[in-house]
Amino acid sequence: MMLNKALEFILNEAIRLDEGHGAAFKPLEDKVFTLTLNDLGTTSHLLFTAYGVSVQSDLQGDADATIETSLVALLALPQTSELKGAVFHGDEPLAEQFVDALNSLEIDWEEHLSHYTGDLIAFKVGHAARSVMQTKQGIKQQAGDTLKEYLQFEINALPTKSQVQRFNQQVVQIHQSVDALENRIDTLLKSATTASH
Amino acid sequence: MSQQKKTIDFGFSEVPLEEKVKKVKGVFDSVADKYDVMNDVMSFGIHRLWKRHTIELSGIRPGNSVLDLAGGTGDLTKEFAKRVGKSGRVVLADINESMVRVGRDRLINQGIAGNVDYTITNAEALGFPDNTFDLATIAFGLRNVTNKDKALEELYRVLKPGGQLMVLEFSKVTQPLLAKAYDFYSFNILPKMGKLIADDEASYQYLAESIRMHPDQDTLKQMMLDAGFDKAEYLNMSEGIVALHRGWKY
Ligand SMILES: C[S@@+](CC[C@H](N)C(=O)[O-])C[C@H]1O[C@@H](n2cnc3c(N)ncnc32)[C@H](O)[C@@H]1O
Repeated sequence: MMLNKALEFILNEAIRLDEGHGAAFKPLEDKVFTLTLNDLGTTSHLLFTAYGVSVQSDLQGDADATIETSLVALLALPQTSELKGAVFHGDEPLAEQFVDALNSLEIDWEEHLSHYTGDLIAFKVGHAARSVMQTKQGIKQQAGDTLKEYLQFEINALPTKSQVQRFNQQVVQIHQSVDALENRIDTLLKSATTASH
Repeated sequence: MSQQKKTIDFGFSEVPLEEKVKKVKGVFDSVADKYDVMNDVMSFGIHRLWKRHTIELSGIRPGNSVLDLAGGTGDLTKEFAKRVGKSGRVVLADINESMVRVGRDRLINQGIAGNVDYTITNAEALGFPDNTFDLATIAFGLRNVTNKDKALEELYRVLKPGGQLMVLEFSKVTQPLLAKAYDFYSFNILPKMGKLIADDEASYQYLAESIRMHPDQDTLKQMMLDAGFDKAEYLNMSEGIVALHRGWKY
């Protein structure tokens, strides 16, 4: 649920900020994609409508296309411009269109997802970077791994199993990270408008 | 069962049957504009997670038609409308005009329009033909309905074959320690907060009591089967403070 919420938020924000207002997604209207992240062991269904993207855990019937990939490949999308090693099922040309549309948004997944997951990752990555002199690629890999662990943890802690206390914390966390992301975007927008004047 | 009785539970104070409908209406009339804030305060915002979980499990997709019964100010309607898209349809039905009005204005303000209908309806007599909806939901609404069996039968009737009903409702807390704390909260703190925010202690007293009078998990599941559902199951959330019941029509 947490991952779905994060995906939904990031995609909608990216589309909102996109110069072409997410025009690349227009042909995908009313289509459903199933996104499997093998390394996380998660499956999410992405619904595209005139209102934007919604992401959910369950789906009645089959998706129009299924994309089997990994979080690591998704994080690397801005560098590679393709989902390395991804497997498509169903309407394959449609799946490719989806990946192209995703690519056109130029989302820095790593940055946004690490905002979402809070200081924990920043701390771990920062620590790793200080203690061992790693190559940039090494750090990236590390970020991917930490994120993977963290999300795995979040996914296991589904609301039905956890206690009310835990819920409260999660709500606060979501609020904080969403606020932080919003602030960042506001700042970015402000600097963008000042720059253009 | 309850039809035989001359009186019916209104929270803990028994009132004549006809009066319950009026009383429930009064409760929601008096809280309509503060309803959203109260919801957040009362559940510490957790109701958002319960609702989110419900939406994700619905399996809804573009083109579907959805009934959000007792939809109130439209939390679920809003998310469903986004998911069914312009080729789908969501009907927000509620017995209380003030709640529907607040909900409609709020959704329109948020750009949700064109695929949502609003209607004033009593859950016990739905004005829709048989086999109309892919999905029907009633969130935190069933406990207010006088004749719950009738409402469940109506919900079954308007679902398409293959369709699903989701009932999200306060239920019986499964963890004894938490159950105690929760009771204290509901009966002592909640009404006080109601007074503070909505200046309406009585309404929130009613909410607390109606939660206690609502059928527990297994009873509600059986009621769904009795109403005609071909399969029913439930899922506890937050240790049973809330349960999500799902019923299918084959
Ligand atoms: C606690 S609110 C829940 C609103 C919304 N579903 C939500 O989860 O936020 C309960 C709603 O049930 C409605 N209601 C009560 N009795 C009803 C009935 N017999 N038929 C339809 N709606 C009813 C009330 O008007 C109120 O809007």
